[in-house]
Amino acid sequence: MSALKSIKRWFIDPQFARKKEFLRSLDIFKELHDRDLGCLVSALHSRTYREGEVVFVEGDIGRALFVLESGSVKLTRPSDGPRPEILYELRPGDFFGEMALLESLPRTATATATEKCHLHLLYKSKLDTLLHSEPRIGVTIMRHLARLLSARLRRMNAEPKLSAAAND
Amino acid sequence: MTKSRREFPVVAVFLVGGAALFAFSRLHHALAPFLLAAAFAYVLNPLVNRFEARGLRRTQLVVMGYLAAAALGLGAYAGLKSLIVSETELFQTRAPAYLSQLQKTVYAQQKELVKRLPLPPQEAEQALQSALGGAIAVLQNIPSHLLSLLPFLAHLLLVPFIGFFFLLDGPGGVERGIQLCPSRYVEQALHLLSEVDTVLGNYLRGLVIVVTVIFVVSFFGLVALGIDNALFIAAIAGVSSVVPYFGLAMGVLVGGAMAAYQFGTFLAAMQVAALFIGIRIVEETLIQPIIARHSLHMHAMTNLFALIVGGATFGFLGLVFAVPAAGILKALVSVTWSWYASERGLALGPADGAAVPYT
Repeated sequence: MSALKSIKRWFIDPQFARKKEFLRSLDIFKELHDRDLGCLVSALHSRTYREGEVVFVEGDIGRALFVLESGSVKLTRPSDGPRPEILYELRPGDFFGEMALLESLPRTATATATEKCHLHLLYKSKLDTLLHSEPRIGVTIMRHLARLLSARLRRMNAEPKLSAAAND
Repeated sequence: MTKSRREFPVVAVFLVGGAALFAFSRLHHALAPFLLAAAFAYVLNPLVNRFEARGLRRTQLVVMGYLAAAALGLGAYAGLKSLIVSETELFQTRAPAYLSQLQKTVYAQQKELVKRLPLPPQEAEQALQSALGGAIAVLQNIPSHLLSLLPFLAHLLLVPFIGFFFLLDGPGGVERGIQLCPSRYVEQALHLLSEVDTVLGNYLRGLVIVVTVIFVVSFFGLVALGIDNALFIAAIAGVSSVVPYFGLAMGVLVGGAMAAYQFGTFLAAMQVAALFIGIRIVEETLIQPIIARHSLHMHAMTNLFALIVGGATFGFLGLVFAVPAAGILKALVSVTWSWYASERGLALGPADGAAVPYT
C-alpha cells in the first residue's frame, strides 16, 4: 500500500495539484470536474507582480481575466482630487478583468499591486480554444460571467431608484 | 506620453524580430539542430500537456514517453529489419549505377539538343549552356547535392536529444518570458504569443499528418507497382514534403528515375509519376479538408515567394521554415493591426440590441 502511495507521489505533480485545488475553491470554477480543472490549469499563465507594479491601466485594451492567488491588488480610477479614487481592493481568490473575455474593450479602471502578489491569467484566445475543445469548461465560465453581468446590471438599475428614494 | 508608451510594444516587437532575424542569418548553420529540435518538441508538446493536465509530473512523462518511443522504434526495427537491410543493400549496390545512368541521360539529352539546334555545334553548345546551364549543372551535381544533405542525417540523433530538454522545460520558457515582460504589456505579449502559437501549431501539426500520409501511401503504392527501394523512395518523398510541393517533385524524380532504370521503359516512370500525382490529388481533396484548420490560410503565391526567399537566404533550413515564418509575419501584422484598431477605436462597437433596457 505504501509502495503504491510512493509510486503515486512520484508521478503526481504537487504544484499542479495545488493550483487545481486553488481554482476549485473559486466560485467561477467550482462546478468544473477534476479533469476540466486540469485543462484549465494548463491554459493559465502565471506572473508575480512586485508591490506598486501596474497590472493594467485604464484605457488599455483588455484581453485577459486575472485571478489573484496571493497578495492584494487595488482597482483605481482618476478623481478630482490629488489621489486616484480606490474602487475596490482585491484579496486572494478574487478575479478581475473578466469582461475582457467577452469583448476586447478598454479597461475601465487601473489595477495596481499593493503588495507582492501572484496572479493567474486566462487569455481570451485560450478560453476561445477551450470553448471549442472542452465546451463544458467554456460554458461553465461563460454562464458564470453572464450571471455576474446580470447581477451588476440589476444593481446598477436598482442604485438610481435607491438614491432617488433616499432623496425623497 | 501615454500614447507613445502604448505604441512602444509594436516597435519593440519589430525591432527584436529584426535583430533576431539578423542574428539567425549569421548563425543559422549552428542554430539548425536547435530550431529543428524546438519544432520537434513543439509538435509533441500537446501530447505531454494532455497527460500533464491529469496532474502527472512533466519530467516523468517525458522520460517515459522517450522510453516508450525507443521501445516502439526498436520493435519496429526488429519487425522491419529484413526489409530495411535488403533495401539498404539494394540501394548501396545500385546507387552508383543510378547516378551514372542519370548523368549519362542528362549528357545524352544535352548532345541531342545541341544537334537539333539550327546552329554550328560550338555556338549551339554555348547557347544551350547559357539557356539551360543552371538546370543542367543542378542535374549533373545531384550526387554532390545528396551528399551535402548528409550532415542533416546527424540531426536525426541530435534533434530528439535537444528536443528532450525543450520538452522537459515545456511552458517554462514562456512563463519566464512573461515574467520578464514589462507588466503593462503582458496582455499584448500574450496576444502575440497566442497568434504565433496558433500559426506554428497549426502548420507543424498539419505537416506531420501530411508527411506520414505521403510516406505510408507512397510506400504501399510503390510496392504495388513492384518498384525496388520502395521504402527509400517513400521516405524521400515523405521527408521532402516538409518543403511544400517538394515531396511530389522528389517522388516523381527519384521514383521515376529508379523505375525507368529498373524496367528500362519510360512507361514505368510514368506510372510512378501518376502514383505521386494521384497521392497529391488525394491529399488535396481528402486530407487537406480534414486538416483545413491546420492551414495558414495563405495564398499559394505567398507560399511560393516565401519558399524562394527562404531557400535563397537560408538554404535547406530556409525551405523548411519559410512558410511558417511567413505565417508568423502575417500574425505579427495581424496583431499590430489589432492593437492599432483597438487604440484608435476602429474595433467593433457594442453588440446589437445594447440600447434595449434591461428587463
